[in-house]
Amino acid sequence: MIEMHDVGKVFRTDVVETHALRHFNLKVEPGEFVAITGHSGSGKTTFLNVAGLLEELDSGRYVFDGQDVSQLTDNQRSRIRNEKIGFIFQGFNLIPDLDIYDNVEAPLHYRRMPAPERKRRILSSLERVGLASRMKHIPAQLSGGQQQRAAIARAIAGEPRVILADEPTGNLDTTMSNQIMELLLQINASGTTILMVTHNPELATQAHRQVHIVDGKIDQIHHFNALKVVPGGGRGTEAASAGAPI
Amino acid sequence: MFMHDLRLAFLSLRRNPILTALMVIAIAAGIAASMITITTYHARSGHPIWWKADKLYAVTLDPRDPDANGAFASLQRHPEYPPLQVTYQDAKALYRSDIPTRAVMMFRASRVVAPRKPGEKPVALDTRVTTADFFAMFDVPFIYGTGWSRADDEAPSPVVVLSRYANQKLFAGVNSVGQTLTLNDKDFRVIGVIDAWNPTPRFYDLNNGSFDLPENLYMPFGWTTALKLPNNGNTNCVRANAQVGGFEALLTSDCVWMQYWAELPTATQRQKYQAFLDNYTNEQRRHGRFPRPVNNNRIVDVDTWLEMYEVVGDETRIQVAVALMFLLVCVLNTFGLMLAKFLKAAPISGLRRALGASRIDIMRQHLIEVVIVGLLGGALGLVLAKLGLDAMRALATRPIPGQDDNPARVALQQSLSSMDTQMFFVALALALLTGILAGLYPAWRIGRLSPSTFLKTQ
Repeated sequence: MIEMHDVGKVFRTDVVETHALRHFNLKVEPGEFVAITGHSGSGKTTFLNVAGLLEELDSGRYVFDGQDVSQLTDNQRSRIRNEKIGFIFQGFNLIPDLDIYDNVEAPLHYRRMPAPERKRRILSSLERVGLASRMKHIPAQLSGGQQQRAAIARAIAGEPRVILADEPTGNLDTTMSNQIMELLLQINASGTTILMVTHNPELATQAHRQVHIVDGKIDQIHHFNALKVVPGGGRGTEAASAGAPI
Repeated sequence: MFMHDLRLAFLSLRRNPILTALMVIAIAAGIAASMITITTYHARSGHPIWWKADKLYAVTLDPRDPDANGAFASLQRHPEYPPLQVTYQDAKALYRSDIPTRAVMMFRASRVVAPRKPGEKPVALDTRVTTADFFAMFDVPFIYGTGWSRADDEAPSPVVVLSRYANQKLFAGVNSVGQTLTLNDKDFRVIGVIDAWNPTPRFYDLNNGSFDLPENLYMPFGWTTALKLPNNGNTNCVRANAQVGGFEALLTSDCVWMQYWAELPTATQRQKYQAFLDNYTNEQRRHGRFPRPVNNNRIVDVDTWLEMYEVVGDETRIQVAVALMFLLVCVLNTFGLMLAKFLKAAPISGLRRALGASRIDIMRQHLIEVVIVGLLGGALGLVLAKLGLDAMRALATRPIPGQDDNPARVALQQSLSSMDTQMFFVALALALLTGILAGLYPAWRIGRLSPSTFLKTQ
């Protein structure tokens, strides 16, 4: 699903040059749930931004869903983001003056999707996250957990191949965090690849793999649950030797 | 997608109402100031008889003394121009030429209509004393009757033509053809009534208010000498030995007080007529007139004529220029406000980019917002412009005794300070242009921002 080969990303100012990613190599299989961990400034978010085509890489090669996306134009990158990637952010990033229905609808507009199809998908995704009854609320009228569920509904409404979640539980209490994690696991179980940046080691262990980044490089990879193909074509997990590095 | 963008634009404008109001007001102020001056300019710079632009020519001769030491030149803005009127004797001489299809010599006078019934008051009417071709040459419309002939000029026949207003005032608007008027103790028969006719500016005689109404009474030129009609317009004596003196002296002196126009539809006619004028002045020079060694005779089309008289005037152009500069300042203000507004909302734009919006999508959405601001500013600007023009009209309208009930005068005042359809669309286009000028760069800048820049801070 995601293949990064020797990817480098450098941020430059007049006086400082910061290597956010260096010789970054990672392969993520379709249907995999990968937790990305690391200290602040280690390059987790940069990795997620590069993976989500929000940032261009400076060196190396990035293959997304079988397509080399290293040299795509802005329009092409936008289209891939719109059609194949869903984003979930720590701060929810809902548009404050749109209600939940309209927030979920936003990415579908950019796909020029017909209105009836948009409506079907919005209702379906809101049902899935349990917010169908709150669709006319604006974000400020919802709790943090509900807002994050709305953001998840927005991410899945486009039926993306990959969801990139940047500390999705960072602003939530433990109960809410667990609910959100449960939701993400359900989404992953239905076949959507998930890459989740998190500081929470407990949540990281619920992923198939944990990729630990230090100074823009992969420092360690832990397999917790093996990815397997379940009968009926779906995907699932089986327990692996927790903490065993590959 | 457009409706979606439109909705987002309105939401965005509502998100920061004070900033939005400031932008709209800035554009409105610029549009209002511009439209007031442009409307005034437009009203004054129109061509009063465009369909005959290449046919009608004012005729000027230059009988002035030589300005050897430059004394006159230092006093005149355009010393190179010949006098813009002609002398009586020159007008009479030019009128003998059969080169023009039509020709008119004329001046402005004033006549008093004696009361037709006991108890009525005498009515003073501004009068144009003119040769017969005036009506056909300037396409003057009639509601009743017609003008007179050249023979009536020669006789002269006791006939007059009334304006619609005069006919309304004297005959309650009914067909007065055949009725008799007593003008300064002499009876005249009405042979025609002119329909509403208001060339703006009043190009055929720019001496007495370029933007005044045409006269209310027209009488044959032959009455000039028969009644020793005094000129009610400007008289300029252009030679040292010329003096206004009495009426007889005025007829033979080098004092200019008559307007002369010729209809010359073809280039050949114009060439022949120019040669005729030069031959005439050469001949006159042999009799001691036209002392300047080089002929300065001009046949001038209406456009050039209006420029020579500076009908629009530099001050009007300067006002337009200042107003447009003010509009530019408003654009720059709006630009700054727009940039600040867009940058403040950049995190939302970044989010939209993450959700799949392309740069073009973001730019288009912001441009729609810009256009809305421009249109709102334009709409408010139009309202302000109308108020400004109304105020100008109220200040500029001078009461003229006996004419305040003249609907043509009211219409003229309104036409000089009213926004017509063309100006309305100019205002809208200007508002749109203003909005786009102010918002194009901010919209482009927002579209270029990296989508990830603001996602953490949104």
